[in-house]
Amino acid sequence: MNSSTPAIDIQNLAYSYGKAEAVHDLSLRALPGRCYGLFGRNGAGKTTTMKCLLNLLRPQRGQVRVFGRDPARAEVDVKRCLAYVPDQLAFYPWMTVRETLDYLASFRERWNKKTEQELLDRFRLDTAKRTAALSKGQRTQLALTAAICPETDLLVLDEPTSGLDPIVRREFIETVIGAYQEGGLGERTIFVSTHLITEFEGLIDEFTIMDQGRVVLTLEADEARHRFQKIRARFAQTPPELDFPGALHVRREGRELELIVNGAGPALIESLRQQAPEALTTEALTLEEIFVAALKS
Amino acid sequence: MLFKINFNSGMPVYLQLVDQVKAAAASGALQPGEALPSIRPLAEELRLNRNTVAKAYSELESLGVIETLPGKGCFLKQNHSPLRKEIRRKLLIEEIDEAIVMAHHLQVPGPEFLKLVQERLEMLEDKRRANEEHKEK
Repeated sequence: MNSSTPAIDIQNLAYSYGKAEAVHDLSLRALPGRCYGLFGRNGAGKTTTMKCLLNLLRPQRGQVRVFGRDPARAEVDVKRCLAYVPDQLAFYPWMTVRETLDYLASFRERWNKKTEQELLDRFRLDTAKRTAALSKGQRTQLALTAAICPETDLLVLDEPTSGLDPIVRREFIETVIGAYQEGGLGERTIFVSTHLITEFEGLIDEFTIMDQGRVVLTLEADEARHRFQKIRARFAQTPPELDFPGALHVRREGRELELIVNGAGPALIESLRQQAPEALTTEALTLEEIFVAALKS
Repeated sequence: MLFKINFNSGMPVYLQLVDQVKAAAASGALQPGEALPSIRPLAEELRLNRNTVAKAYSELESLGVIETLPGKGCFLKQNHSPLRKEIRRKLLIEEIDEAIVMAHHLQVPGPEFLKLVQERLEMLEDKRRANEEHKEK
């Protein structure tokens, strides 16, 4: 495998359920070793995109490649190099935790028993318990354990933390960072879809925001926080009625003015300064604030 | 050493880590020979990508701020920048110029700017002294 081959390469993907278009002309590329976030509201098309990667759905237009391979033609090869935590977890209810892990391990070439034990201990999972008796948090922990032990090059997470309590969510992310990234530093790729962006903020290298099946924005996380700014100015009197070219969002509140900008920060700050404000502050937006700003504009 | 990441600062995350180590070293909060947290627990604790922490550490290493002892971890080095003096001066001048431009835009006149620099220097030295005294006790 060429090391510059993208872990995930999606080009002009389209998929409709009957007349309802779920994904429209989506293109994105996740390079190996990176953590790539796919952000969108419920129904934005994230899960449909993920299912195309896993050959659970066939693209109707465009193409998807996982490490250069077509999931529809090389399904086994593709599944061998990835692990998936779906948004809807399904286990055989009559199996115990132990039986479930053994069953899933039987499909894998590799299975790190030491990691398995560490994660079972960390999550305090009772291996004798039947999966039907597990809580939602425990089911997610079991799915994550099963996704990390095979030590695949790619980890695909679909809305992994929605509906979980804050402690479980935090442990989940710590585990992805600690146990999954442990194996090959700079080599393991994570592709995660979520609308709980704040929790993944520190993990994300690059992201795509999608809405109604379309790409709204693709950026590196550091670059995004550099470009998107919230500028606040307070004036002695009512703020001047200025045009703010390049502002995504303008809010006026008495003598105060708040602008959300994407890249146009320096020019707008200069033009505000010429109006001699009493106070002028700028702040970078977090990824979640960028998400909201990008979808509102 | 404890770190704090601020996603509202607009500064790349790895640089925030780099700057915090540099600041701790300058104030004496972190002493030469003292260990930095290792990458995995720090990444977990801050919920940061491990590559980000690794990038910060390798940056610090190339700046000569820390050294990695194989199998032992990362430690703060004695303050010996590997760079030649004129390069060190040049790097510092760039930072100073930026602060001067900032001062101009914020309408802080030259003498007041110099006084501020003096104050900040003294503050850092006070901190250093306090950390030294604390260590001797």
